[in-house]
Amino acid sequence: MATKTRILLAPRKLKLPSSLRTYHSHNHPAPPGPFTPVESTILSASAPHIPTHGFTLTTLSLGAKDAGYIDASTNLFPRGAFALVQWHLYTQRMALQHHTGIISPEVRDGGRAPGVGSKVKMLTWERLMGNREVVHRWQEALALMALPSNIPPSVGELGALSDEIWYLSGDTSVDSSWYTKRASLSSIYAASELFMTTDKSDGYKETRAFMDRRFGDVQAVGSAVGSLGQWVGFNARSGLNVLRSKGARI
Amino acid sequence: MALFSAFRPVFSSHSLPVYDFLAPSLFQIHRAPRSIRHLSTTPQRHTLSNFQNDSPSTAPRTPKTGTEATSNPASTSKPLTQAQRDFLSRALRVNQTGELAAVLIYAAQTPVIVASHPHLRPLMKHMYDQEAGHFVTWNALLSRHRVRPTALYPVWTMAATVLGWGTAVMGREAAMACTEAVETVIGGHYNEQVGGLLEIFKEMEAEGVEVGEDLRVLVESVRRIRDEELEHLDHALENDAQKAVPHELLTGVIRAGCRGAIWVSERV
Ligand SMILES: [Fe+2]
Ligand SMILES: [Fe+2]
Repeated sequence: MATKTRILLAPRKLKLPSSLRTYHSHNHPAPPGPFTPVESTILSASAPHIPTHGFTLTTLSLGAKDAGYIDASTNLFPRGAFALVQWHLYTQRMALQHHTGIISPEVRDGGRAPGVGSKVKMLTWERLMGNREVVHRWQEALALMALPSNIPPSVGELGALSDEIWYLSGDTSVDSSWYTKRASLSSIYAASELFMTTDKSDGYKETRAFMDRRFGDVQAVGSAVGSLGQWVGFNARSGLNVLRSKGARI
Repeated sequence: MALFSAFRPVFSSHSLPVYDFLAPSLFQIHRAPRSIRHLSTTPQRHTLSNFQNDSPSTAPRTPKTGTEATSNPASTSKPLTQAQRDFLSRALRVNQTGELAAVLIYAAQTPVIVASHPHLRPLMKHMYDQEAGHFVTWNALLSRHRVRPTALYPVWTMAATVLGWGTAVMGREAAMACTEAVETVIGGHYNEQVGGLLEIFKEMEAEGVEVGEDLRVLVESVRRIRDEELEHLDHALENDAQKAVPHELLTGVIRAGCRGAIWVSERV
């Protein structure tokens, strides 16, 4: 017990998911995740207490106790209950890759494989459903995420989620749409997640409709003007091409 | 993976020609025997199908989930370090940006140049096609390795188009001087990158980490593309790049611009 306590009292910072969006190797194991083994043990033991005790220190110490650590082990988490939020966001994001039915569906003869767009929608919905168990406590999580020092990791996690969804859906674009796609999915997800905290409808039907409308808005805007970045970039080039097609010898 | 090795020359880590990045001048670099000079009057030798074989884009790219990707790593392997992954993502990003620019420069130059010098059509087409092949190669690798493209994509798109069109309007010599300046910097850049990659391989081998198929293919792609860039440099010199007036100013400015662009796109 004594050694355990000593290890636990050394405070460690939780890292940002910075390992993301940098070279992803298919020939090497993935780099370690943002949590140490001890942190993971305590946090995963805490997670079942969230529906009852919320994103609070009480939950953390209950989890620590369940995992066989003393109460003081919550000192391990300098950001306090926010670690629970990070754990939830991280584990739910990592769980998306197991939806193989969506990611690589079996296509029967004559059937049509779903496109990238519909996979994105389905995975976004699955991620929202990942909040189902804790949704009545989610406003606590949102309050923690809104603390100034917690904003950067929270925004980073949102970006990582969008990146994961586009990647798992098979999107391969690597032009400026890379950014607009992630930005618009992040905003759709964040808005739908907030909507869901007030949704009392059966099976979150209203959240589903809300999310579908947000995707619809983006499509409408997208087809009308295109993304601003692309518009700027292709302006010079297409201007040249238009003039050339009109017979200008330039 | 089998498709990858189809275009990869015979290669083993024991036979790495490790010294090529130490070559003091771009002109003394060992050339692959196939990179015979293409004179401007030679008919175009590369066809589109050539590129398709040449680029990894033909490899089926079904997105692998994290587990799928990690469940089957080389047995003795360890994760890449943060520094190695940063180097690789910066390298892929800057390569893609460079080839985006190259494609746009040639696309903007070609109609202007060909209008006044019809005999240059095959050469311009040949160089454009090669650039397009390079661009496809890097695009495929960026998405395969989840590397973000440069945030300044629209800026480079605009800048490259303006540069290509501007130099073409100044005449054949200026356009070729543009190619000369760009290819000098790009050739040097790719060369340094081969050096950096071999450095990483050494690190990995010392640590007992498998280099892996992807990185071997990567270094081969950089070498092949570098040789093609240097071939473009030869074409430019054969076509009186140095007669452009004012040659030193023009190439100096473009070279400085390219170096700045590389510096920025590695980071942003
Ligand atoms: Fe190129
Ligand atoms: Fe080139």
